[in-house]
Amino acid sequence: MNTVLSRANSLFAFSLSVMAALTFGCFITTAFKDRRVPVDIRVSKVMLKNVDDFTGPRERSDLGFVTFDLSADLQPVFDWNVKQLFLYLSAEYATRTNSLNQVVLWDKIVLRGENTKLNLRDMKSKYFFFDDGNGLRANKNITLSLSWNVVPNAGILPLVAGSGHVSLPFPDAYETAKSY
Amino acid sequence: MLAIFKTIPTHMDYKGQKLAEQIFQGIILISAVIGFVYGLIVEQFGWTVYIVLGGFAISCVLTLPPWPMYRKNPLSWQPVVPESSGESVQKPQESLKKKKHK
Repeated sequence: MNTVLSRANSLFAFSLSVMAALTFGCFITTAFKDRRVPVDIRVSKVMLKNVDDFTGPRERSDLGFVTFDLSADLQPVFDWNVKQLFLYLSAEYATRTNSLNQVVLWDKIVLRGENTKLNLRDMKSKYFFFDDGNGLRANKNITLSLSWNVVPNAGILPLVAGSGHVSLPFPDAYETAKSY
Repeated sequence: MLAIFKTIPTHMDYKGQKLAEQIFQGIILISAVIGFVYGLIVEQFGWTVYIVLGGFAISCVLTLPPWPMYRKNPLSWQPVVPESSGESVQKPQESLKKKKHK
């Protein structure tokens, strides 16, 4: 403390310690918050095809196309320890070979300060809804649900499932591909 | 050129050092409390950081330069012993050094 540099050193170290304590306080104030909000998912169109899956063995696999509406108000999720939300829509279903299949169909990043009221109509899925076989055809219970990762300033990275999901039956027959 | 820099006083006395430490700790803790409450109210952690950085800047200005208020209690040194013989001058200086390191 007798020279300028030693004072600068202790001042800087003390400020950093205080900042770390504040960051921890920021985490503690939001650690036990319930970040679930109701989500309304509606499926407007379902289509099923049987196409070549070039990534797997030489078989034709089921490929589903889902068009959905999504509305949710994410405002309660945001607070001072949230930088962004990573939303993703996943489909869960059981097949004969696997009791649980999960496929991510669509995702979206919502930064803080952006519009938190989601009201999406006739969204097409971003990613292919490929089954690893023929488990989609006539599958009567395919559940779509929206979940999100909360990206915080400090602390844990919670994975939250939105309350509200929709179960839909898939058609019994494949859409015949038109050849041009 | 260097002689000009050497004339700038950088020294604080002991009470001044203690005062400086108390001042910057107080300023940073107060700004931390204000920043935390304000950030919680406006739900922006960035404001908390900015307010603490502001407290840091204020305490830098207040405590880094050796302002006159930190030099109000200079140490009272022993008066210079008049040089009579070579041996007798050494002893009081050594005992004084030991006291200082205590």
